[in-house]
Amino acid sequence: MKLESIARELDLTNLTPTLAGAATAEVTAGYASDLLSDVLANAPEGGVLVTLQVHLNVVAVASHAELSAVIFTSGRAPDPEIVAKAMAEGLHLYATDADTFETVGRLFALGVKSGRDA
Amino acid sequence: MTPDPLMTVRADLHVHTALSPCGDDEMSPPAIVDAALAAGLDVIAVCDHNAAGNTGAVGEAAGSRLTVISGIEITTAEEVHVVGLFPTVMAAANAADEVRETLPVADDDYTRFFGEQYLMSADGTIYGREPRALALATSLGLDEAVELIRRYGGLVIAAHIDRPTFGVIAQLGFFPYEAGFDAVELSRHVPAGSATTDGYAAYGLPVVHSSDSHYLEDVGCVATEFGLAAPTFRELVLAVKHREGRVLADA
Repeated sequence: MKLESIARELDLTNLTPTLAGAATAEVTAGYASDLLSDVLANAPEGGVLVTLQVHLNVVAVASHAELSAVIFTSGRAPDPEIVAKAMAEGLHLYATDADTFETVGRLFALGVKSGRDA
Repeated sequence: MTPDPLMTVRADLHVHTALSPCGDDEMSPPAIVDAALAAGLDVIAVCDHNAAGNTGAVGEAAGSRLTVISGIEITTAEEVHVVGLFPTVMAAANAADEVRETLPVADDDYTRFFGEQYLMSADGTIYGREPRALALATSLGLDEAVELIRRYGGLVIAAHIDRPTFGVIAQLGFFPYEAGFDAVELSRHVPAGSATTDGYAAYGLPVVHSSDSHYLEDVGCVATEFGLAAPTFRELVLAVKHREGRVLADA
């Protein structure tokens, strides 16, 4: 499914609206974790990360793991400088008031699966 | 000007007391001092979770036998443990008040699950209980915690960075160079002088080995050797910052 469609279906707030590519980026897999060493080791390339961790290192880790997007849950949003860093890295950021459990459930229903199954 | 003569100082810069919910109830000020002296330590830093209410009592129990530095171990919003060491009991107390304010009040269920949080006097008498839930994460982000410690003249150390839980690397994936740590702490699981220690030293910060003791028998199970003119906080800061010829042996 296209990233843009996922964002619309889940009613996500786009934190990087000027970053191109959301219409064409195909996302088939995802990962949910707040422990960034775990994200680094296990998140699927090209996937979407669902987390409530908003430290700057989310961007560094997501870039290194070659993820296409991060969804921040439970109403948490990163500082503007972190968004700027993500823009520079070409990483799409979204935010939602929904919690991680609900967000992952809705992604799963849309066909976005664990990287192990992709 | 002739350089100050240096003495070898053994320091365990991360020791809990019975104030930490996970700290053994036997971790009273006099018992900690006895354990530290038995382990051949010259300096300890008392670092309870998100609080500093027993540091003065440990210092009082030690008298002139042992240098006791007042510290704290803050759990940041990212669930990273950060050790702050302060120049005085008062600085630690004031810093700790800011940290404690961000935590909810502990109820009976909390205490049943996490344990008692005893405030003790120098002779080990329990005179009170810390009301805040010290085991929980504060609302302070890592950057805010570092800034808070600095504001009270403290030294900022990334706690047990080799550990899979609450260490900054486990929580944040990469070592955050921009966070402004003064040193990194390795747990008892990483021997001094090992290749693993060298790997962590590659972050470019001084490395300290600390016990993170929650039980008396663990006090001083690892330590850091310093070359200092005197066993004081000011001298430790000089060593960590590589100033005036002071030495941190394992770095």
